[in-house]
Amino acid sequence: MRKRRISRRKFLEGTGTALAAVGVVATRPTIAAQRAGAAASGAARTAIRVTVNGVARQVDVDDRWTLAELLRDHLELTGTKIGCDRGECGACTVLLDGKPVYSCSQLAVWVDGRSVETVEGLVKNVQNEKLSAVQQAFVDRDAPQCGFCTSGQLMAAKALLSSNAHPTAEDARAAMTGNLCRCSNYNHYVDAVVAAGGRSAESLALPATGRLPATGRLPATGRASLSGEPSLAIESLAPQRVTALNVVGHATPRIDAVERVTGKAKYTGDIRLPGMLYARVLRSPHPHARIIRIDTSKARALPGVKAIVTHENCKVVWGAGGISGGQQYNDEVKKITKHRRYAFNNPVRFVGDPVAAVAAVDRHTAEDALQLIDVEYEPLAFVLDPEAALKPDAPKIWPEGNLSPNARNELMPISQKRGDIDAGFAQADHVFEDRFTTAFVHNAQMEPRAALAAWQGDKLTIYTPTQGISNCRTDMARDLEIPPEKVDVICHYMGGGFGNKNQNQDADLIATVLAKEAGAPVKLELSRKEDFIGVHGRWPTVQYYKVGVKNDGTLTAIQLRGYSGMGPYRKNSGSIGGIEIYQCPNHDVTVHPVYTNRTVSGNFRGPEFPQGFFGIESMMDEVASKLKLDPVEFIQKNMTRKFRDETPYTNYTLDECIRRGVEAFDWKKKWHPPGAEGGPIKHGCGVSFMAFRSGLGRSSAVIRLDSKGRYAVHVGVTDVGAGAKTTMALIAAEALDVPLSKIDLVWGDTDRCPFSVGESGSRTTIMTGQAVVEAAKDLKKQIAEKGLPKGDEVLIASASPNPQLQGKVRNAFGAHFVEVEVDAQLGGVRVVRYVCVHDCGRIINPLTADSQIKGGATMGIGMALHEDLLYDRRSGVPLTPGFYGARILTHRDAPPIEVIFIESDDGLGPFGAKSMGESSKVPAVAAVANAVFNAIGVRMRDLPITRDKILDALEAPGAAITAGGRS
Amino acid sequence: MKAFTNANPKTVAQALTFIADAQKNGKSVAVAGGGSDMLGMMKERLLTPDVLVHLRSIPGLDQVKQEKLGGVTGIAIGGQTTLDALSHHDLVRRQFAVLAEAAGTVATPQIRNVATLAGNVCQRPWCWYYRNGFKCLKNGGNRCFSVDGENEFHAIFGGGPSYIVHPSDTSPALVALDARFTLNGASGRRVVPAAEFFTLPSVNAARENVLKDGEVLESVWIPAPGRAVKSTYHKIMDREAWTHAVVSAAVVLEMENDVCRSARIVLGGVAPIPWRLPDVEKLVAGQRVTPALAAQAGEAAVAGARPLAKNGYKIPLTRAMVTRTLQTLVNA
Repeated sequence: MRKRRISRRKFLEGTGTALAAVGVVATRPTIAAQRAGAAASGAARTAIRVTVNGVARQVDVDDRWTLAELLRDHLELTGTKIGCDRGECGACTVLLDGKPVYSCSQLAVWVDGRSVETVEGLVKNVQNEKLSAVQQAFVDRDAPQCGFCTSGQLMAAKALLSSNAHPTAEDARAAMTGNLCRCSNYNHYVDAVVAAGGRSAESLALPATGRLPATGRLPATGRASLSGEPSLAIESLAPQRVTALNVVGHATPRIDAVERVTGKAKYTGDIRLPGMLYARVLRSPHPHARIIRIDTSKARALPGVKAIVTHENCKVVWGAGGISGGQQYNDEVKKITKHRRYAFNNPVRFVGDPVAAVAAVDRHTAEDALQLIDVEYEPLAFVLDPEAALKPDAPKIWPEGNLSPNARNELMPISQKRGDIDAGFAQADHVFEDRFTTAFVHNAQMEPRAALAAWQGDKLTIYTPTQGISNCRTDMARDLEIPPEKVDVICHYMGGGFGNKNQNQDADLIATVLAKEAGAPVKLELSRKEDFIGVHGRWPTVQYYKVGVKNDGTLTAIQLRGYSGMGPYRKNSGSIGGIEIYQCPNHDVTVHPVYTNRTVSGNFRGPEFPQGFFGIESMMDEVASKLKLDPVEFIQKNMTRKFRDETPYTNYTLDECIRRGVEAFDWKKKWHPPGAEGGPIKHGCGVSFMAFRSGLGRSSAVIRLDSKGRYAVHVGVTDVGAGAKTTMALIAAEALDVPLSKIDLVWGDTDRCPFSVGESGSRTTIMTGQAVVEAAKDLKKQIAEKGLPKGDEVLIASASPNPQLQGKVRNAFGAHFVEVEVDAQLGGVRVVRYVCVHDCGRIINPLTADSQIKGGATMGIGMALHEDLLYDRRSGVPLTPGFYGARILTHRDAPPIEVIFIESDDGLGPFGAKSMGESSKVPAVAAVANAVFNAIGVRMRDLPITRDKILDALEAPGAAITAGGRS
Repeated sequence: MKAFTNANPKTVAQALTFIADAQKNGKSVAVAGGGSDMLGMMKERLLTPDVLVHLRSIPGLDQVKQEKLGGVTGIAIGGQTTLDALSHHDLVRRQFAVLAEAAGTVATPQIRNVATLAGNVCQRPWCWYYRNGFKCLKNGGNRCFSVDGENEFHAIFGGGPSYIVHPSDTSPALVALDARFTLNGASGRRVVPAAEFFTLPSVNAARENVLKDGEVLESVWIPAPGRAVKSTYHKIMDREAWTHAVVSAAVVLEMENDVCRSARIVLGGVAPIPWRLPDVEKLVAGQRVTPALAAQAGEAAVAGARPLAKNGYKIPLTRAMVTRTLQTLVNA
């Protein structure tokens, strides 16, 4: 490594201290630390009078309490959520004297004499709990997905409707600009507010069936939204019409939508247990350092501190945190793992690596205690860039070097070969090479990580937002070295995750260890910054492509050499997917998952695909352009028709997806050669397509029938936001041949629910849904044999199917068509039209399916144009953690998305359902990037495509197109 | 947050007394208007005051009324006027559109409902080094980390030794409107022209303005516009809302038919202070603003710009934005 002009230690010491970010502490105690003791016992308190939801209250508040804290922790009004505690997300919006404000950004002492309204005050009639018009509209239009932003959106909407009874879509977006939704269900929120205002003349009640009329096609606008924008169409692939079912396939509001719009849904952070302590984590300010000494004595002496853990007294291994390629850290893998990730590591390997955790009587005391912990570090050399990390002189993050070992502990890259790559290039008429890069993108789910652990004897109950209670339980038991029966994982509501709430997280372990140490329940809360740097996001990549093609556009060879930055622990695969969607006899893929001293990388919606699809589809779009072919023609020529060009799909609709999208988007009229438009405002069209796994697999379900005719369906889902509870209930009702109203779903608790695969990998509908179908079959058989239960009798049916597919592969298919407008002088990009066509098999619930596809596409726009985590290269400190820094899309950034489902039923999965959750994020980034290329005629190779990059590209000498008006 | 005592004063005099008392007792004091940004910084422990004085508790500091200063007609805007109130105020929208528009572009409705004009003007920088706690020139250190680091959003004018850009939207508007700030503190009141309120880092890198310790921005006075004045605020952001300006322009034109008699053009997002463009103002004074002249104005706007390694794009951006804003305003 190059000699540095100043050592890292001098850098930090010479300039005082590097970091004061929450949870990260200076290397020397500060004046604040010396005062903290006095503060904890003598914290200033003030008596205030405040009217809350019409009720006058007198409360004694700590001057430090925010209004949000007062409402949530001391008035038991947990409907108001804290998403960031920094006024950057809107989840905490309440009305203060009728005006929307961020309750996290106002002190309780400032609202003395004023009036506050929260979501709990919205119901029209507290007695019979009739929803207000806007709440009902949110339910009907499927506005809440995970529901975490919903209370805030409602309060902003309420304020709008109070002053403007009939808002337009634009009015709604303007009023709700200050409310982020990471599930990105912006279109539905706007629809709902406009509907609540009753603006449109025609009745826009949801179609009773959402099913196809006899013609097999819905009218062009499908189920039009009230905002007037075309929204959703479901079409059946002729000639195999998908036959209508009774319950499945009908647009159905979520069975828990009411809980989500009334603030009644209890998320992990809302739960309180008697005697509960609050915990905070101290994190490394260094990207790589050895901990020489930790002195917690001053922190322990602070009144109210009940337990402190560090690497010295906590040796717990966090198996799922970095286990050679994302495999379960089972007994086999354990034996051979070289790079163990502990809950507390020494050395620490990224800014944000946990160093200590404190449990105290309240969160302010816990935070004060962090300031009192003295840590002496020996900073070590670090490396941030994956290609640099593989150079022979790079600092070693692990003794074996920085190429991360695979699940068999082999120091080898991921490699896939097909045919003979050299022969393939030899056969080509043209060989093209290019390089693309993608950035670290954080999942940025609205609910920050939290965990509440409570021991009763040797039984642990952990409340945690997890996408898979079963996997979480397995992981907790394994890491704590206790039997799984001694762990109960509970998650009834969670605020999104998109892949960073799978398995268990170190927060779960830390809360658990603290709870044991303190002898009391412990709630650990991560700040938004901690969530950004301490959990994980999508791995950044560098992708080198070499493509051989014949004059007529036929591919002969595709080579990918890729590098994925994994952070210092290999939490997940680090793969780069996408090549397989192209037919080509000769492939050569080598991907290096590389250790770096950055925030850890892990799964995020489509894990290895959005970044890989951006790479390969930009590359192929470039090839098409050089051959002067319409990209759609190029795709139709080369797209996969059999899995890996050899195994047939269970059914194949990719050609139909593209054909239908071309038609709906009017591609042939809109597309022009790249950069052909004159003038400074340039329009362009881009296309991308996808084929994505829809495999079958193992899951379980239990159904219990009582004599009152109630069917309790037990499934291990938590509903990450996609609507799994409703989906399972619909499947159960259909399979049992009973109305939906007879179904009671039992979910979210490992003590009451059987194994479910976990809501990741787009598998729950397929796998857990199939278990429900089989359990229903079993129950119907029992009813036939034994009759319906009487009195106290119950019938219980269960199923744990593990269907396998032989000789065929099951994929979901899709294509995205995007039109952008690029201002070549100001460098801004706007998406002006977005059409998604997807084959997700049979659509179980068109209402929630629509939300999912729209959400994923919108997230893709964000990844294409905005999101990144920028690092200061000299210190290894991330500069842009958080919603503001990552420029997460707002209402105003989210265009209307049109969705067309090509419905099919290949006889597999529950009623033919295929994967959906990740489908729309996978191709979205590529489609947007290709549209930008078409607009300006310059290929943007490095994500995100921000304003500065566009202006630099257009200003560069030899830029293909002049930005009109310049010489 | 570090523990602190909050004070809700009922008058300005009381606020100043709270400040003075705290200082006398060796306690650190901070002053909050709407408080959104202040609380954020306190939660990050960038600021750790022992006493927090909440100015928004003072009634009567949020009035907008016609008032004379030195015999000249104008309006006085209380420092605690919220940005929401400002952006919707009838008189402000009619006579000082640039200010109403600037106020309306800040952040989000929730923030504008509490954020004050004084708070927006006195806002600390949003440089990511400063905000992430690097010990830089702004918080007791002796270097600027952006110079040879990540400087995509930093200054192309007036930088050195610090290269922050002034984060306020209302400030360029107020400089363009020739506003006067009334400051009030331990040594009484003083009136400072907006253009003299902001401090270049070459003068004092630790501060962005001339406020003394314990002094508050009590009110803003703006002279009444001449006849046929048009103004606008154009803000370029890296998402459609909720972001500080990448580059912005406050433009005030005094027209006579289609001739621009005089112009005030002040940029945001390009310098540590609101950046006035006197050469561009001279260029257009007395002229018809044709597309050609607007283009020349754009060129003149970026003359002398000194980009850092990663913010060169602000030059064509500023050039195009000044050109377009002039043309749009003239044709409005």
